[in-house]
Amino acid sequence: MSNTRIIGVFEEESNLMAAVKQVKQEGIEIEEVYTPYPMHDVIEAMGKKTRFTFAAFLYGFMAVIGVLSFLYYTAVIDWPINYGGKPTNAFPSFIIVTIILTILTITIASLFTFSARAAIFPGKKFDLPDNRSTDDKFVIVFDKHSVSGAVDKLKAILKDKGALEVYENEIQLQN
Amino acid sequence: MYKTEVRGPLILGDKNYRQISDDVIAPINQPIPGWWKFAFFVAFMMTSFGVMALYQTVAVGLGTWGVNNSVGWGWEIINFVWWIGIGHAGTAFSIFLLILRQKWRTSINRAAEAMTVVAVICAAIFPAIHMGRVWLAFFIFPYPNTRGPLWVNFNSPLFWDFIAISAYLLISASFWYFGMVPDFATIRDKATSKIKKAVYGFFAFGWTGSSREWLRYEALSYVLGGIAAVLVVSVHSIVSTDFAVSVIPGWHTTVFPPYFVVGAIFSGFAMVMTLMIIIRKMYKFQDYVTDSHLNAIAKILIFISLIMGTAYGTEIFIAWYSGSEYEMFTFFHNRITGDYAFEFWAMVTCNAFIPQLFWFKKVRQNLTLAFIISIFINIGMWYERFNILITSLSKDFLPSSWTTYTPTWVEIGIYIGTLGIFTMGVLLFFKYIPMIAISEVKSVLKVTSLNDNYINHQSHE
Repeated sequence: MSNTRIIGVFEEESNLMAAVKQVKQEGIEIEEVYTPYPMHDVIEAMGKKTRFTFAAFLYGFMAVIGVLSFLYYTAVIDWPINYGGKPTNAFPSFIIVTIILTILTITIASLFTFSARAAIFPGKKFDLPDNRSTDDKFVIVFDKHSVSGAVDKLKAILKDKGALEVYENEIQLQN
Repeated sequence: MYKTEVRGPLILGDKNYRQISDDVIAPINQPIPGWWKFAFFVAFMMTSFGVMALYQTVAVGLGTWGVNNSVGWGWEIINFVWWIGIGHAGTAFSIFLLILRQKWRTSINRAAEAMTVVAVICAAIFPAIHMGRVWLAFFIFPYPNTRGPLWVNFNSPLFWDFIAISAYLLISASFWYFGMVPDFATIRDKATSKIKKAVYGFFAFGWTGSSREWLRYEALSYVLGGIAAVLVVSVHSIVSTDFAVSVIPGWHTTVFPPYFVVGAIFSGFAMVMTLMIIIRKMYKFQDYVTDSHLNAIAKILIFISLIMGTAYGTEIFIAWYSGSEYEMFTFFHNRITGDYAFEFWAMVTCNAFIPQLFWFKKVRQNLTLAFIISIFINIGMWYERFNILITSLSKDFLPSSWTTYTPTWVEIGIYIGTLGIFTMGVLLFFKYIPMIAISEVKSVLKVTSLNDNYINHQSHE
């Protein structure tokens, strides 16, 4: 498979959005959009969804059960100690430790999930189509292979919507 | 949706995206200024003094401190609570304001979070050394051990404290770090020197800013923000239970958790104001940290100051209304009057009265005055903790065990040391990390200025 990409560079986010809309209407598949800051419209237009919140809930649920059973095991089964005549299963005073450790578990597990799903980790090899996109440019990338029939039309749309530059480049994109 | 007509543009000077990156990254690329070196040197000396005091504590023992059988908690716990309070700024700022979708947080949250992380590190030193044998501090971890296995006491607020603070440190540090990843990528891609590219490239974790990354990044920040909001409330509530679950007069009150949380946010916001005025002045960030930002912080400070005043009043009222003579004694003969009356009135003046000056627009706009008031609030919050701890402990139920408390040079030295660590940490942050969240500021640039693009961006919340 060829790695040739068609890259459109925009100066304004409104121009980028106009181009994205037009391209989608024409039925051309956008490979990826690179922006200096999160743009909800772009994320929506790319049709991507995340189940992140559900995963976080699941981590929290497991953490609550895990922590409570750990506290029960240590305080009631393994080494029961009489603290001022309180029952060994002092449930109300377990709640605080449970809440904090649940929050901690959700945070750490979410960070690892993020790292895995967004592929962000130390020492990652990456290819940035245009390194101005982390600064001030909005970059839209198409796989030339998949738009083969409509390359000229695509370039015309991008130019028409106010692209600063439209060029082709050989790059290996992750995923 | 952001209402531009209410708060006005958040970023002045008609910037474009590139200017924002350049302005924020500038301090990283410029040579280190003279004042920075001087301040770092002073902070380093302070830290060295603190290390000397710590050495004395460990080598000789806790006898080097001024604490005694009656006043078992002295400056260490005062300073611990004080630092934790300051450490509430970052979470209060970024997380509450993130959840409430207050866009003006974007220029300030990075610095507030940095401050949080350093302040919590300073705070964590105190309970560790207060254990007496700091080399056995790891006993507090609940791990299977050869001592029984004797588990820690999960019913103890002191253990809750340990859990809360370690979790808070880890969570605020990771929240801070992941916020910086896109900015590190910006520095990486703009850097000209090879070393800078490699170092910031490593810390950027291969960030590219693609839509799949942003999607998850946003989801992550809302999840972390949502759950860490619980932490803002819980950490200082737990610190307050260290006191509130005891039977000491003046501590045994149910108002303590909210009173401590509000106090913590109060001192945190005051420290943010102190720091932002310095950053703005030293690095000329007037276009990002505008007068309107500081104005908003000042208004929050008035509000919290009123809550503090109410809390002080409530405590005194309940002491009288309870009919408990020990409570009455503590509040009326040992705080309002008595040996430590100065500390009590310093607390009330600095926290409840002085911030009321912010009602005047002239005071809010005069940054020198605002700076002085923010310092006063931090002093007042220190006195608040002094007042709670020392007055209650020095005169308890038994007059035969009444005593006074004076710190020794070792205790003062450790405090000075933490001030040095804090200053050093903040200075390193100034130099090596973008002080303003570049990507977040970019995202509010067009939405909040009244230019042509405004119309096209109404879809942004």
